[in-house]
Amino acid sequence: MSEEKEKKRTMPKDIQRGVYSAETIADIRIKAETGRHRIRGCGSTRKYPTMEDLLILPSQLSRLSVDTYREDCRTQTVLGSRYAKKPLIIETPIMISGMSYGALSKEAKIAMAKATDIVGTSICNGEGGLLPEERDNSYKQVVQITPSRIGFSLRNLEAADAIELIIGIGAKPGLAGHLMGSKITKEIGAFRQLPPGIDLHSHPRHGDIFGADDMLLKIKELRDVTNWEVPIFVKIAAGRVREDVKIAAKTGADGIVIDGAEGGTGAAPVVASSQLGIPTMPALVQAVRALEEMGLKQEISLIVSGGIKDGSDVAKALALGADAVAIGTGAMIAMGCTVCLKCQEGKCAFGIGTQDPELRKRLDIDVAALRVANYIQAMTYEAVVLAKAAGKSALANMEREDLRSLTLEACAMTGVPLIGTNYTFTEPFGYF
Amino acid sequence: MVNLDVAGMSTMDVNAKLRDLIQDNDEIVVENPLSVHNFATALKGQGRITVKGSTGFYTAGFLQGPTIVVEGSTGLYTADNMGAGELIVNKNTGSNCAPSLVGGNVVIRGNSGSRAGWGMKGGNLIVCGDVGMWAGKMSLDGRIILLGKVGNGIGESMYNGVIHVLDPAVEDKLGGNVKVVPIDDKEKKEVEALFKKYDIDCGVDDFRSIVPKVYGRHEYLLFKPTHKQKGAN
Repeated sequence: MSEEKEKKRTMPKDIQRGVYSAETIADIRIKAETGRHRIRGCGSTRKYPTMEDLLILPSQLSRLSVDTYREDCRTQTVLGSRYAKKPLIIETPIMISGMSYGALSKEAKIAMAKATDIVGTSICNGEGGLLPEERDNSYKQVVQITPSRIGFSLRNLEAADAIELIIGIGAKPGLAGHLMGSKITKEIGAFRQLPPGIDLHSHPRHGDIFGADDMLLKIKELRDVTNWEVPIFVKIAAGRVREDVKIAAKTGADGIVIDGAEGGTGAAPVVASSQLGIPTMPALVQAVRALEEMGLKQEISLIVSGGIKDGSDVAKALALGADAVAIGTGAMIAMGCTVCLKCQEGKCAFGIGTQDPELRKRLDIDVAALRVANYIQAMTYEAVVLAKAAGKSALANMEREDLRSLTLEACAMTGVPLIGTNYTFTEPFGYF
Repeated sequence: MVNLDVAGMSTMDVNAKLRDLIQDNDEIVVENPLSVHNFATALKGQGRITVKGSTGFYTAGFLQGPTIVVEGSTGLYTADNMGAGELIVNKNTGSNCAPSLVGGNVVIRGNSGSRAGWGMKGGNLIVCGDVGMWAGKMSLDGRIILLGKVGNGIGESMYNGVIHVLDPAVEDKLGGNVKVVPIDDKEKKEVEALFKKYDIDCGVDDFRSIVPKVYGRHEYLLFKPTHKQKGAN
């Protein structure tokens, strides 16, 4: 056989092996070596149906469009006005979601806080305490109450513009914060009251909430603490969304945050992030349906997070019924993150997901802040372009009627009619 | 001294009233508490409040300074996230007493349910009666003193802090990642001072301390084969 033919011959290693792809083989080898489940950062790598499968209908003769560059389209968003005396008012419906000081470096947290001040939105502190520098630099501060209560005290609540009671996180629903020992330096250890160098596996259930009845009282307690001024959101990972949203609404929350399975994380068991939970788009549809069934859609703010990457996602989420969206990974990418899936190692080369003093120096706070602010501003521009083309004078006026499904799958999941047919292959979502 | 009858008042009104009164009064006596929930939430100041009866869930949550004496019992999640001050309960309390306590002293003269001192971050919790399972679970700091019998899984996954126990059979009831060590002299003095302050008649010599075994990761409870254990099958 000539050399050329030898080259063309398919070798056994080149044959597709069904289940046993190169990835699976590598995975099995790692597990055989360590005897433990794998932990990885950045959340799921799975392909989910996204809002890319929806299209927005432009206005033509049946309705008139708004001039993209000369006419106004309001983006100011008011969240949590159900019971709170001082609802959260932000200039764009894009919030920065909860990422902890510990998972992220101090520089990255400050940069994000500064970005919120530039564009006028809110930042959430994540698990493990509120960094004073973050509060000083942020425009609006959302404070999380995580089940483990690490770093949490009355001082945090008093500094809050909104409170987020965490029940679950999209990247690892049913589990709680994982912070690997590589990131628990002396500084982080002191901040979280943890012995440096340990692997932190937080508790997934609240020590003082054992069910919806308790949560009702707990939310009342939090309202008493904050003098009924600060809105209280409940963050739920997307699972049994319809039931969970109804319970959260009954317990008296001002707003509900739905975190889809696309959501990122600093560290999570790979099986948890790839196998648990449902993606953002169907979760949002279910949440909106649940609130509409209860007649509370107008009262309760719905914030959606997990895989929101550009302005079209924002416009579509708002059209499906969300009041605001939250971004996390996107903001990190704006700073320089490459989504290398290695957040858990704490060796981030860009100074974002690390606590190494040398690596942290690589992040220029002001440049990073400006880049995140630019990203949020550009996303808002994109959303506004779409909304104006759909004939809206406010971003919040986006409605389901403006959407059509590109695929049968999206049509079946969302109840939004399929393009070209104007027919819904499942239960229709709202009135068309 | 001022009397406050809270019968029929909502939790919000009770807290608003207490906040008003504590500014000018050193001593407040609360009558007819009727197990009101969320009693004295985030109350600040330096006064003393005596409750002539029992209170409900989340008693003295986020408390910042005052001394509260409950003559009856309290419900679940007593003294959650309490920052400073004192809470003395003369009878029993429900489960999850003093969850994520930040500071201050909590004294329960009766029994407490499961998960007493859950995720504590500071302060002192004294339970004179018995406690249920998982006392001091995942606590980050602070001191728990248990004078009565303890339940299973005591000190499960403690990160830091200490539990002083009197129960002789505590070795059989330890949670994961904790060990029993003798109490040292410095701790004895501190416990003695607390007992003196709260009028608890108990010697300190028989106490033993439960502390984390290793300050780091311990065994996971994900999969535990039992077939090679003694007496299996």
